[in-house]
Amino acid sequence: MIELIISHNGKSWTAKNDLLFAEAPTLEKLDSELERQLKHKGCLEKGEEVDLFMSFDNSIIPQWIRQYSQHYFNRIIRLRN
Amino acid sequence: MAEINRINRRWYSGMDTSEDWWSVWLGLAFFFLGLLSVTGIDFVGWIAYPHTWVDISKSIAPLGKSYKGLGAVGSICVTYVMFTIATCIGAYFMRWNLKKFFWGWTFIFILTYILWVIGNHAFFAANVTNRVKYGLSVSCSLGGGGAYILALFVGLIIGNFFKNFAEFLSEAAKPEWFIKTAIVFLGVKVGYMAMKAASFVFDLALTGACATIVAYLIFWPGTYAIARKIFKLPRKMSAVLASAISICGVSAAVATGGAVRAKPLIPVMVSALVVVYAVIELVVLPPLFTSTLMHEPIVAGSAMGMAVKTDGADAAAGAVLDELMRNRKMNMDGTKWEEGWITTSAVMTKIWIDMFIGLWAFVLAIVWVYRVDRRPGEVVPISEVWHRFPKFVLGYFATWVVYLIILFVLPDLVENAKVGAVPVEKGMRKLFFMLTFTSIGIITNFKKLIEAKFGKMLGVYCIALFLYIVPVALIVAYIFHHGMGVPVAH
Repeated sequence: MIELIISHNGKSWTAKNDLLFAEAPTLEKLDSELERQLKHKGCLEKGEEVDLFMSFDNSIIPQWIRQYSQHYFNRIIRLRN
Repeated sequence: MAEINRINRRWYSGMDTSEDWWSVWLGLAFFFLGLLSVTGIDFVGWIAYPHTWVDISKSIAPLGKSYKGLGAVGSICVTYVMFTIATCIGAYFMRWNLKKFFWGWTFIFILTYILWVIGNHAFFAANVTNRVKYGLSVSCSLGGGGAYILALFVGLIIGNFFKNFAEFLSEAAKPEWFIKTAIVFLGVKVGYMAMKAASFVFDLALTGACATIVAYLIFWPGTYAIARKIFKLPRKMSAVLASAISICGVSAAVATGGAVRAKPLIPVMVSALVVVYAVIELVVLPPLFTSTLMHEPIVAGSAMGMAVKTDGADAAAGAVLDELMRNRKMNMDGTKWEEGWITTSAVMTKIWIDMFIGLWAFVLAIVWVYRVDRRPGEVVPISEVWHRFPKFVLGYFATWVVYLIILFVLPDLVENAKVGAVPVEKGMRKLFFMLTFTSIGIITNFKKLIEAKFGKMLGVYCIALFLYIVPVALIVAYIFHHGMGVPVAH
């Protein structure tokens, strides 16, 4: 399983770790971009399957709201080649 | 400001850095201190507690008999030191600006005690049955509600007319942290009340759970339909609004925003709306229910729990309702209802709602990911339910259960346990209620409603809340709670 931190900069979703960085206006396009990069780096060979665990960067939730709720979402994407 | 708790990856994420967990730690720390009274020593009776007064020298005193020697000033100093140490430890672990928190907390603490004492002057607090005792011919009959209303009012003045100062205080004005801590203390109260009326407490818990489930199934689809069909709002915004208005305000908006993968801006905007509307409800509903529902006080409390969003505003509204109804009852026929039952009915309903939001957001996420958006390969992790579970509820139930165990398994300890329970469930709980009132006022800026371009959201919120949620809440509360009276104090 590859772990990433997902965030939103006001315009686009971003996902990153030490190996990957992707930015896209929708989650579908973000997933596609991550898949493309993984294939390009040889991390998703033919017939392979990989799970991406994306933890949301809750620090972008304004501080005054965090006393009410400190969790936005985590998501798992299963990619197959 | 250092950024903390950026991600919730493990089950224990946020245990040392979130307000939710720190309300558990703070609540349990003083609960255990109180519980030590079973050894015969009172460790919490130093709490300074205001009484109804006309002579200022008798306005405040420590609650525990063994601490009477402290006097008013001594008990306030000990209370300040104890809670300043405890909250500053919390603020340190939550990586807040400690210096700003300390000064903000000190100001809010002092202001709160001053308002608490003023609000308990016999002119505000005394009712028909006891005003003569204080040498008065006229009084407002507000009970402890006068202090709550005063704290909210003064807080709102600071928040709306002294904005720079309010901004400085905002580091320590944390109504949700304070109220969640107060709710952990309320668990002691519920356990303590169960010692006196166990079956009533269980009835209240069971009917509260049933009412909550029914309300969920009616509120959410109706509000969603209003947003979609009447106001033509997009799906995701409608879902976030529906959860915020019909479930539990800000936490529901954030949970649903995440579940439907909305841009974070949407729940943030909705949250700003929730906070202001919750204060409007807090001001409007308690007097409205008091004037119309005196014959069904538990229905009124439960409906309050379903209608008022945010834990702070709900518990605060329940506390004001409790004071107003009990004093009106005294004025009507001299009957003295026991304090706390109406508040408990409001809070218990709200706690069930809070607990269900994690599950509801999980269901929404499944529907959205697998049915609405249909993103290939996406899986919704079950751990989401836990990450959205309100942790302070664990503290509330833990304190409740411990007192139930004492009641049923160790009855010999009951008398000693009561000595430590009263300062916690009465003094500390009410102190944190008062801190909540002051803080809610400080962080509420009505101008935000005008400045922010909420557009249609404002209309959806107003119509759904007052023409749909409040009436349905009353009907559901009546179905499940009608006929439940408040026990009479002896």
